[in-house]
Amino acid sequence: MSPFQKFQEWHQNRHQYAQEWKARTGGKVLGYFCTYVPEEILYAADVLPVRILGSHEPEDVTEPHIFAMFCPFCRDCLAQGLKGRFDYLDGIMISQSCLHIRQAFWSWQLHIPTSFSYYLPMPHHVQSPRAQDYLRGELAQFKGAVEGWTGRTLTDADLDRGMEIMNTNRRLMKQVYELRKAPNPPLVGADAMEMVLSSQMTDKREHNQELAALLEKLPQQKRDGDPPVRLMIIGSEDDDVAFIKMAESLGAVFVSDDHCTGTRYFWNEALPQEDRLMAIAQRYLDRTPCPTKDWPERRRFQQILRLAKEYGVQGALLIQQKFCDPHESDIPQLARLLKENGIPSYFLEFDMTVPLGPFRTRVEAFLETLREEDLF
Amino acid sequence: MITAGIDMGAKNLKVVILRDGQVIASSLIRVGFDTQEALDEGLQHALAEVGLSKGDIQRVVATGAGRNSVPGADDAVTEVRADSAGITHISPTIRTVIDVGAEEGRAVRCNAQGKVVDFAINEKCAAGAGAFTEAMARALEVPLEELGALSLKSQQTVPMNAQCAVFAESEVVSLIHARTSKEDIARAVHDAIASRITSMARRVGVEKDVALVGGVARNKGFVDSLRRDLDMDILVPPDPEFVGALGAALIAAQGA
Repeated sequence: MSPFQKFQEWHQNRHQYAQEWKARTGGKVLGYFCTYVPEEILYAADVLPVRILGSHEPEDVTEPHIFAMFCPFCRDCLAQGLKGRFDYLDGIMISQSCLHIRQAFWSWQLHIPTSFSYYLPMPHHVQSPRAQDYLRGELAQFKGAVEGWTGRTLTDADLDRGMEIMNTNRRLMKQVYELRKAPNPPLVGADAMEMVLSSQMTDKREHNQELAALLEKLPQQKRDGDPPVRLMIIGSEDDDVAFIKMAESLGAVFVSDDHCTGTRYFWNEALPQEDRLMAIAQRYLDRTPCPTKDWPERRRFQQILRLAKEYGVQGALLIQQKFCDPHESDIPQLARLLKENGIPSYFLEFDMTVPLGPFRTRVEAFLETLREEDLF
Repeated sequence: MITAGIDMGAKNLKVVILRDGQVIASSLIRVGFDTQEALDEGLQHALAEVGLSKGDIQRVVATGAGRNSVPGADDAVTEVRADSAGITHISPTIRTVIDVGAEEGRAVRCNAQGKVVDFAINEKCAAGAGAFTEAMARALEVPLEELGALSLKSQQTVPMNAQCAVFAESEVVSLIHARTSKEDIARAVHDAIASRITSMARRVGVEKDVALVGGVARNKGFVDSLRRDLDMDILVPPDPEFVGALGAALIAAQGA
């Protein structure tokens, strides 16, 4: 049995999990559209935050609601709502990131009413000295809204608990990632992706227990055979496990990533301080940014480079959801930066479903060039 | 030493047999639904040319869209690597090879050793591939083989937006209704594909010398359009559709 089986099950049965959680705890479930949502405050209120993600099936229900040149991910998310797959949600929310996913949120709010719906104006200029006070104020308002919705006042102790749950999850996943530095890592990219995805779909207290158990077993797991080619995958939201598995079937292994379904989601913790909301605000302002918020300094690039070096990356796949302009405009510069640091990269454009056959040829050809590099 | 390269393409299967690095036989056969049958027939055909049997082949390397469904192959390489190996063997000064097949267009930049430096593949849209010329030849009611020669007689340039093969066909129909000559429409078709292929090639950077391979390289009208679009001379080797299979056979010989 794979030590990742539980994560795979959670990932594959996300709706069943959330429904059972509700039945078991009598609590509220909130669906969120972007990882800038401060889950600490939701955990403080014993609300279960679950991320709204797509299902990678062709859909025909979003056309009247989303522009044709908006990304397939935001369409796929909205399609899940319109098809009734998230019927159990008590509330939805988004933190401002990009206008594509925000459109999915507004449309969801319009067509699938829930008792709670919240738009959190997360600042774009996270590098501004005024961003901290601004976001702290917004978090205070959000906390008030959650208190109104759940009918309970959130104390500092509640917020501490929320932060502790989140931070533990982050710390444990980081420890698992650490094991990917090995020449023949005990986990593959598909395992890591399902681990992080399932953390966005389950009660993190339960997820933390599973992570702790995993960390007991994993370091002993040895993989035989030649060390695979070490890849990093970088770009837009990506929960396309089928693609990762296909690429890893070609003699490669993903050892790290820069995705909001990966490191961008969990890499940094909320550092304790007297003002709890300020601690949470700083955590979201200091996290590896989404390219919508990464200016004027490109902080994400430095983090990518750090990860690439620490994890011994030989090549990088730069992926972008079709029409994802914030990522697309970063890609030429990022490809250049990686090249200057001796890391070749290859670009792929993702859609709701990716053509696995032709993509296989591209990834395989990219791996051939990396292997030839070794020979010369 | 005898090696074989098998290029299982989207439409045709190409076989090249080498003896000590020299081509001694080749064959091309249409791949239908039964790929195994095409494979047996293609190999048989090539081997019969030189009186050899399957057992005489020491190493087989497969390439092409169906490279992983070639039973008995010792290895499989992508079309990208095979093209690069094949073309630099034919002409060592080639730095960019453009391959336009039935359903895919590719541009590969390589170095003097035949090593791939960068590549791009266009397969989302038929407008940059051979299938597009087939559809357009049908719309114009001319045999595919004559489409190239026809377009060379064109007197004027007609702009055509080939973002999609189906829409392009409706554009051809409009041109027919507007009494545009067949020659001019044929050239518009080739210009449209050339434009898509050039865009793709520019993504990897077009470095001289440039070669065009794949079945569509037999279309003189397309070659002419591509030369004009890239504004440079393009080498078309004598058997352009066999370059991938040749590359695979050479890789088979190296790997032995």
